Amino acid sequence: MNEQARLLRRLSAYQFAAWELHIFLDTHPNNCEAARKLEEIQKTVESLTAQYEAAYGPLGESAAQTSRWAWITGPWPWETGEEES
Amino acid sequence: MWSYEKRLQYPVKVKTPNPALAKLIATQYGGPNGELGASLRYLSQRYTMPYPELKAILTDIGTEELAHLEMVSALVYQLTRNLTPEQIRAAGYDAYFVDHTTAVYPVDANGMPFNAQTFAVSGDTLTDLHEDLAAEQKARATYDNILRYADDPDVRDVIQFLRQREIVHYQRFGEAKQTGWNGPAPFPKDPDAGFSKRRPLYSSFGYKNFSGRVTRNARANSRKFSGVMV
Repeated sequence: MNEQARLLRRLSAYQFAAWELHIFLDTHPNNCEAARKLEEIQKTVESLTAQYEAAYGPLGESAAQTSRWAWITGPWPWETGEEES
Repeated sequence: MWSYEKRLQYPVKVKTPNPALAKLIATQYGGPNGELGASLRYLSQRYTMPYPELKAILTDIGTEELAHLEMVSALVYQLTRNLTPEQIRAAGYDAYFVDHTTAVYPVDANGMPFNAQTFAVSGDTLTDLHEDLAAEQKARATYDNILRYADDPDVRDVIQFLRQREIVHYQRFGEAKQTGWNGPAPFPKDPDAGFSKRRPLYSSFGYKNFSGRVTRNARANSRKFSGVMV
């Protein structure tokens, strides 16, 4: 696994934790403990997202890093990195 | 609206192509218990849901199913890379190949294209929520069946992640079904918050119908086509 994949995996793990809390709070909107954890994890997501995008280009259209070439360049999420560019 | 993130919810990296397995996994893309039907089911049902929790959970889970759709198609794509005509024939992938080559098209394991009749959108809260609970179990069972035929650890890891999500969604839908009657209103009593009129989905009077009125008894309920009796 290269450095980019490792960082993306780390970011995805935090985003997954945030998502789990997000949908848990849909059915438990008064759970302060879950809301507090979500807020905490979102901070890590933010900093890892900034770190990833600065190095490897935007993850979405609202990214601070706006390189158009980095956006259109692969690998795309479904690709393995071995495709012809 | 939706916005795209250039990543998968859970990574998919398959080293060894296997078109026979791709054919089985593709059913979770376009088959009767697949992720396409799942997302369309939830995103279509949310408009007629009476409570904020229900609108939220259907929107969010419907969105997550789109991320699963992308993971399933990534599996199918990676399992059908760099194939020779002989490999395609030997795997029984030739019939799909003549129509679609190795493009990703929503079909079930038998090659039948996606059909919206595989899911229901009734506008009746309890009917739809029970449909959703059943849908999560049907998808879980299909992933279990795929695991019987998948030996590749790269594939099993992803399928097990997706299977686990069905169980979590089932749990959330189960909680959603009890929204509003399982204890006091969870929001602070702020009249501006808009939740002051919340009523239980079930009550001692009957079932809250889609027009927002609580029907008084079962007989009135059945006469006026206003919902399901408790």
